[in-house]
Amino acid sequence: MAPVLPLVLPLQPRIRLAQGLWLLSWLLVLVGGLTLLCSGHLLVQLWHLGTFLAPSCPVAVLPQVALAASAVALGTGLVGSGASRASLDAAQYPPWRGVLGPLLVAGTAGGGGLLVLALGLALALPGTLDTGLEEGLGTALANYKDTEVPGRCQAKRLLDELQLKHHCCGRHGRIQSNVEGLYLIDGVPFSCCNPHSPRPCLQSQLSDPHAHPLFDPQQPNLNLWAQGCHEVLLGHLQGLASILGNMLAVTFLLQTLVLLGLRYLQTALEGLGGVIDGEGEAQGYLFPAGLKDMLKTAWLQGGVARRPAPEEAPPGEEPPKEGLPEA
Amino acid sequence: MALLKVKFDQKKRVKLAQGLWLMNWLSVLAGIIIFGLGLFLKIELRKRSDMMDNSESHFVPNSLIGMGVLSCVFNSLAGKICYDALDPAKYAKWKPWLKPYLAVCVLFNIVLFLVALCCFLLRGSLESTLAHGLKNGMKFYRDTDTPGRCFMKKTIDMLQIEFKCCGNNGFRDWFEIQWISNRYLDFSSKEVKDRIKSNVDGRYLVDGVPFSCCNPNSPRPCIQYQLTNNSAHYSYDHQTEELNLWARGCRAALLSYYSNLMNSVGAVTLLVWLFEVTITIGLRYLHTALEGVANPEDPECKSEGWLLEKSIPETWKAFLESVKKLGKGNQVEAEGVDAGQAPEAG
Repeated sequence: MAPVLPLVLPLQPRIRLAQGLWLLSWLLVLVGGLTLLCSGHLLVQLWHLGTFLAPSCPVAVLPQVALAASAVALGTGLVGSGASRASLDAAQYPPWRGVLGPLLVAGTAGGGGLLVLALGLALALPGTLDTGLEEGLGTALANYKDTEVPGRCQAKRLLDELQLKHHCCGRHGRIQSNVEGLYLIDGVPFSCCNPHSPRPCLQSQLSDPHAHPLFDPQQPNLNLWAQGCHEVLLGHLQGLASILGNMLAVTFLLQTLVLLGLRYLQTALEGLGGVIDGEGEAQGYLFPAGLKDMLKTAWLQGGVARRPAPEEAPPGEEPPKEGLPEA
Repeated sequence: MALLKVKFDQKKRVKLAQGLWLMNWLSVLAGIIIFGLGLFLKIELRKRSDMMDNSESHFVPNSLIGMGVLSCVFNSLAGKICYDALDPAKYAKWKPWLKPYLAVCVLFNIVLFLVALCCFLLRGSLESTLAHGLKNGMKFYRDTDTPGRCFMKKTIDMLQIEFKCCGNNGFRDWFEIQWISNRYLDFSSKEVKDRIKSNVDGRYLVDGVPFSCCNPNSPRPCIQYQLTNNSAHYSYDHQTEELNLWARGCRAALLSYYSNLMNSVGAVTLLVWLFEVTITIGLRYLHTALEGVANPEDPECKSEGWLLEKSIPETWKAFLESVKKLGKGNQVEAEGVDAGQAPEAG
């Protein structure tokens, strides 16, 4: 039974592999840490803007999954650096022999799965954000006047602070910023005012050309913020999500490389029986045999174990470890 | 009778030198921190120099920056000395420089302490600078057409929004100046003409404030104009209304911000000063312990280290004597004065 993707590894290339792996692992730790921080930042931003996102919109799932994925990547990096360091030293390697196998499985399944999920979510985010913001901002605007209603009394303050901080007015612009309901006026709250305007802010009777001298509502002017809060928030959050998505892609790439390198190193050293400085040429491989053969061996082994076992062990093969092929 | 004598054997000397080496490199880090803090303070003062008439004193941040750089230099030098102290050959070349170096270190510590004190004392001068600067800033609020002052409106609006304040001491300051530019006043209207005639300087004064004074915490939409006229607004009493506008004046807000900043910076500087004093004392002990090694060929021998060779009053007397001698240095003296009595500079 032929091993899958075999690679001959004499001593020098083995040492090079271990050293390169050590570097890659620390790089993975760095990138994993940065991704962790980035997803934490996104989570905090989403928490702050929670009032303006519809509660039914599960936007917070992305940063949470990204957090978990980057933690696993960090762990993989640390394991990788430890193992590659140990593989250069005969005394340190034995304790790693037993642990490395299960860790590789965990890293591939857990880390890979989470990363792919996070990447998928990052791509799907803009659509959900759009609808969530639309609904959330609409509700907030409608609740602006309800400063006496418990549960909604913070809407005015939060919306004012949002408009002051993000330099926006209304949902898609000031036209829709009117208080919906009974008393509609063509005026805006003070938080829509743009400090860059050379004249004191005009907030009321905005569509009446005769109400204010020397002010033409049709002309573009600096009086109020021109952008709507929907666009501003969408752009802001999408920017953060795209940065996170890029970092997740880099983490995924690095993690794949580290896991592959670790697998080759592990199988090469197993081939030598765990002797580090053995001059012999070892063969590293991804899987001991093709998928069909592995399943057959597993089936046979399971069958053999149920009957009283004859004395021969299955030919010196490692029991199949992974059921899923590498991506 | 030496001051604070401590016995040293070889192992203790080595430990002292190693400990001092580590502390010196930590102190270089502390020096970098002080440098960073000074830079940060300078940038913060610069950011709001418009509010202070561009006349604020940059003494504190500049001295912090200088102290940070000096601390890095001195401490890396001291680290090198401590590293070489364990090797008699290398130490020999540093020996003549150590005494003046220690004197410089003591001077540096004194100056660092004074700078730390200044951080706490700057508040007073800042208060008057702010009061002046804000008053002038508010006067230029309406000059959005005058080149060189056209940014003042934006600056003050952003300041009031960010620091949650209104006016110099309170919102009534806005009632006393004309903050609406003449360009946006309709001089054909009777109301405008009445207002301008009603005061000596012909200014258009209103009992209103700019929008940036508005407090988002208020349950009702912001009332900016006719603030003292209760009948102009439904269910409004200007004497009991609290949440409508920001109550604090910008002078108090900025002052408290800068005071907090400088108190923290001062506290950090004091901690670094304590650390430096410890290092200087340790270096002095190392110096005297190594001097006290009687036989340079036998590194194992014990020695004594002290802070001052004689007690404080005697050292002070000796110091004064040497200063007097320096004064009489050009005079030819009949009796040979023992000039070998080197003063133990503290």
